[in-house]
Amino acid sequence: MDRSKKKVDLGSQIQIKFITKQEIYAVPEFPFAVDSKIQCENLNKLVNELLKDKLSDDNGVVKKVDFDFLVNGELLRTPLDIHLSHKNVSSESIVVVEYMEATPSPEPMDCLIHDDWVSAIHSMGPWIITGCYDNSIHIWTNKGKHKTGISGHTGPVKAVQWISISNDSATFVSGSQDQSIRVWDWDIKKGTTNCLQIGRGHERSVECISVSPDSTRFATGGWDTMLKIWSSDPNYEPADKPAKKLKSETKIMPPIMTLKGHKENISSVQFINNSDLITSSWDHTIKHWDGEIGGIKTEIVGNKSFFNHDYSDLNGSVITCSSDRHIRLYDLRSKEGSLVKGTYSSHTQWVTTVRWSKSEEYQFVSGGYDNQMKLWDTRSPKVPLFELTGHEEKVMCSDWSNQKLILSGGADNTVRIFKNKNVKTN
Amino acid sequence: MEDAQPAEEMNGLPPAEKANDYVEYEAELDTSDEEDIRNTVGNIPMNWYDEYPHVGYDWDGNKIIKPERGDQLDNFMEKMENPDFWRTVRDLQTGQDVVLSDKDVELIQRIESSKIPDSTYEQYAPWIEWFTSEVMNMPIRNGADHKRSFIASRQEAQRVERYARLIRAGLLKTREQKRREREKKRERSFYMMWSTDDAEDQHMRRITDHIPAPKRNLPSHAESYNPPPEFLFNEREMRIWKKQEETPWKRKLHYVPQKYSSLRQVPAYPKFIKERFTRCMDLYLCPRARKMRLTIEPEDLLPKLPSPKDLQPFPTIQSLVFNGHTDMVRCISIDPLGQYLLSGSDDMTIKIWEISTGRCLRTIPVGGIVRSIEWNPNKALSLVAVVADRKLLIINPGVGDHLIISKTDSILSTPPVQETIVSDKVKAVVQWDDATPEEWENGIRLVLNHFKEIKQVTWHGRGDYAATVMPDGANRSVLIHQMSTRRSQLPFAKSKGLVQSVLFHPIRPFLFVATQKNIRIYDLVKQELFKKLMSYAKWISSMAIHPGGDNLIVGTYDRKMLWFDLDLSTKPYKTLRLHSTAVRSVAFHKRYPLFASGSDDRALIVSHGMVYNDLLQNPLVVPLKLLKEHEDCSDFGIFGVTFHPTEPWVFSCGADKTIRLFT
Repeated sequence: MDRSKKKVDLGSQIQIKFITKQEIYAVPEFPFAVDSKIQCENLNKLVNELLKDKLSDDNGVVKKVDFDFLVNGELLRTPLDIHLSHKNVSSESIVVVEYMEATPSPEPMDCLIHDDWVSAIHSMGPWIITGCYDNSIHIWTNKGKHKTGISGHTGPVKAVQWISISNDSATFVSGSQDQSIRVWDWDIKKGTTNCLQIGRGHERSVECISVSPDSTRFATGGWDTMLKIWSSDPNYEPADKPAKKLKSETKIMPPIMTLKGHKENISSVQFINNSDLITSSWDHTIKHWDGEIGGIKTEIVGNKSFFNHDYSDLNGSVITCSSDRHIRLYDLRSKEGSLVKGTYSSHTQWVTTVRWSKSEEYQFVSGGYDNQMKLWDTRSPKVPLFELTGHEEKVMCSDWSNQKLILSGGADNTVRIFKNKNVKTN
Repeated sequence: MEDAQPAEEMNGLPPAEKANDYVEYEAELDTSDEEDIRNTVGNIPMNWYDEYPHVGYDWDGNKIIKPERGDQLDNFMEKMENPDFWRTVRDLQTGQDVVLSDKDVELIQRIESSKIPDSTYEQYAPWIEWFTSEVMNMPIRNGADHKRSFIASRQEAQRVERYARLIRAGLLKTREQKRREREKKRERSFYMMWSTDDAEDQHMRRITDHIPAPKRNLPSHAESYNPPPEFLFNEREMRIWKKQEETPWKRKLHYVPQKYSSLRQVPAYPKFIKERFTRCMDLYLCPRARKMRLTIEPEDLLPKLPSPKDLQPFPTIQSLVFNGHTDMVRCISIDPLGQYLLSGSDDMTIKIWEISTGRCLRTIPVGGIVRSIEWNPNKALSLVAVVADRKLLIINPGVGDHLIISKTDSILSTPPVQETIVSDKVKAVVQWDDATPEEWENGIRLVLNHFKEIKQVTWHGRGDYAATVMPDGANRSVLIHQMSTRRSQLPFAKSKGLVQSVLFHPIRPFLFVATQKNIRIYDLVKQELFKKLMSYAKWISSMAIHPGGDNLIVGTYDRKMLWFDLDLSTKPYKTLRLHSTAVRSVAFHKRYPLFASGSDDRALIVSHGMVYNDLLQNPLVVPLKLLKEHEDCSDFGIFGVTFHPTEPWVFSCGADKTIRLFT
């Protein structure tokens, strides 16, 4: 009886070979025969066993390291044989298993309570700015301390972004459903804010804002389907007509450029360098604009409305979320074949926000109307790395500008801050 | 010739000469003019050549030289010496001397003496009467035979054919056959007694489609002469066996298993012959027949429809729930751009929602149960029409472009100058009032007080006209209001039934009026009935028109949904019985080929309704998806269904106080 069972086990064994790019965890390169149904957990034990000598310190205490395993370009989340059959890989040949140190799970750090739904969030340096549905903008510190609340808009604030932060003052821009854009100046020492400029020109609500990397310009898009580029210079005046003075210090600002091309609501805009922009819209398209000339460079047509997108410099691809629960990865550079490089589905409702990691090439976060924030690895399309639970209502915005902090705001009137421990020290 | 022979003999010429003469004569006959004439000058007076040494030209073109003529003396000498001189003549054509033959001479002589030139011609031969007046036994005809006589006779051919047929059939025998038969009879014949030589013949005799007799069961262990002991009857089984003496068909076995020590011991089976006989009787008396069973798969009966997968996109799952109303939500409407949603509820408020987030932006109390609500289709106006009990409220919702909002307000704040006097009849039905300051604050701009409870309001495509329906208003149940002039009209003089719903045609100046059972289409320009659609339903609840304007769907309280093709017929093109209870609301999508229906069974059914430009192709209607997310709440389910203007999203509002978005 015993013998026969052994035989069965032997029959379903797979030969694997470990490789890694992290030198400190290197193991000798000879194949192992393992049970075909082996999972991450046991592989982890195996590698830790192999690394016993390396990981033990002087006192002989063995430090345990968690690893993630990459087989055929996809993270192992199921038993190995199932994973291989999904990938249509023969289990006869030696399977190369790459392993790397696993991402530590982010920890909930803080919860910033607002008076109404939080619809926009952005962090820069030590400051966090949030836009709220009660027409107010709030500034917080990274530690979760409320600095100031600013009111001025007459409609829900739908987009906020920092322009620049210096030691004693900071400027930021906000866009609202009241069809206006405001550039604000915040005196950190005094704690006072004043509105430098009001940008008028949008005919419907403003939905998104992006500031260019050199902080000289910013772009807005909204329900009037126009993409407008503005100057963040408070003294900017168009050559032909001087700006009207509304009050002593608040000027009405006209846009530098109005770009027409989308047919419906522009839901998301982003500068990818000082001149180029990417916009995504409800009209099922993502457009790549040249912000200097004012023309469309390329266009990607999807089959669902896009709610949000994010571009990563690290891998040059755009992650998008649309009205169908799936997150899709597009490569702007590829011209042939399928434009969709990956589909990530785990959310059960609309995904409304996606953000790339600024330092990890493969990681991004997403938030949706299923009250979940999820941390993803692009190599694991079915299962996210972590689910960041906490929100009790729809997640409406998120930010991962600061690698240490994953921020998300939602319809439960809170901003949740998660501390990401996977920070590379340069 | 034969007649001429004796005359020649009479001439006394010897036979040889006669033969010679004959040949000559033949030759003379044969020589045609062309051959004879050696001179080619033709038929001309030869004296033209008198002065020349030649008389013409021969075939080769050489001159024919005149023969040398002697002088008078020579001529005289010739006359004296030549006995034939008298019969010598000169041929003018050739200039040669020709000696005439006796025959020629005779001929000349006969002509000179005025006799018939041919000496052989019998001038006085006896007369033969070829054509006579006497009737003869064998008349001689000289006429040509009739064409018919050259064509084979049809009757004859038929007769031959008949004979041939009879011969082939063996009914008529030719002499040859008869002879052969006679010979055969005389011979001795042999034949196969039991079978025929012909294989084919044998095959024909066999029963076609033979059904074999049912096989008998194989013997079981119990039937063995030496069965295992467990098969043998114990006492109880034996008792049962005996008890069933009267009813042997109830027995499990029809025999009692018995055990013998060896096969030799087994006695003869007593029932052998009887059982064989019954078996034979069974086979003989129960004729076997092949049953022709028609196998129709239930799937084959269904019409071939495309798979829903190929008809993407259409709403499949619930994406957002708009919570906030405290009572049943009766009606919803979406602004023309698709950013905001408007809902009216039994809690006497209307709410404006942001579609993308599900956020309620505004709540406007209207002081009555909101039965119908519709956003003005004109994008240059920011107006909604709201029905609250007996009032029709024109509200500026205050969302969207600020410029349009303020412009709309300025238009509505100044009432136009009324030029014509409103008739008392209209005044009794509706009064136009300006909003009170508190109402103005809430966005209400105009109040139209009707004399009966309003059920429905609908805008004309250009947004200036709105029609309201008061089912209890009898002949005054339909009213058309013009916003720009603030006037109302009563389009109908007579009541045609309980009006349920009205609808403006999206392109043409038509008004659809649904009464309980029929839909009348009125031409508003000509002011006459254009068409009447028969629904064959008991009670119509709602209708929606395809943006193309040629197709209409109608929901009825008797669970049906009817699709009318206005070009095709006045009867429903398709009747969809998809719901289990009354259909409350139907809607068409403006861009996608989709339509949806909501009913009291809480089910929202999304269907594909493709209308082709080609007039020959009928619309394709495929039910796609059943969305049953609304909670059970009283007897009602879904009240209103509407599509997003640009996305393939559908909204439904229901008795569970929620509005749901499906994408």
